[in-house]
Amino acid sequence: MNKSELIRTLAEKNNIPMDYATIVVNTFFQSIKDAMIQGDRVEIRGFGSFKVKDYQGYKGRNPKTGQSVNVQPKRLPFFRPGKELKDHLNEDI
Amino acid sequence: MSRTLTKAEIVDTIYEQVDRSRGEVKNLVESLLSIMKSAVKRDHALLVSGFGKFEAYPKKARKGRNPQTSETITLDPRKVVVFRLSKKFRNEINPQ
Repeated sequence: MNKSELIRTLAEKNNIPMDYATIVVNTFFQSIKDAMIQGDRVEIRGFGSFKVKDYQGYKGRNPKTGQSVNVQPKRLPFFRPGKELKDHLNEDI
Repeated sequence: MSRTLTKAEIVDTIYEQVDRSRGEVKNLVESLLSIMKSAVKRDHALLVSGFGKFEAYPKKARKGRNPQTSETITLDPRKVVVFRLSKKFRNEINPQ
């Protein structure tokens, strides 16, 4: 499923106009993004939580050529699925 | 200490943009989450452009050990979810 299908399903299930469903879905993901860009944690009960990890830069090597490269510091978000999501996925298996 | 964004705050942010009741917006967010959960389960993937992808993949059963009693136990096969962020989001979170 992709974002436009997500919007359409939300609109159909709840009998709401597409443009309203679009605002709900876009604002939902935008809020999560904005928080993580600021370095904040995000907790969505029932679904999961996100946190941002900071990685320091380091001197790495290109394993193919052996050439040494500088790896820039970076930030990466991590997602931890919530209990409800895990249980939902593992029902009836 | 970083702060934590919660579901209630996301509901408020949406509520401020639409001419609807907060209760209705809250129900819509719950509905959205349940659609997302079903999608991850049914399609094994949920793709949100500009954000990232939630992927479900199966793990095989394996032998584990209770570290407290060192008893050997069998861990059942299960499905796990991973999040891969989109290129756009990666660039937004790492401004150069």
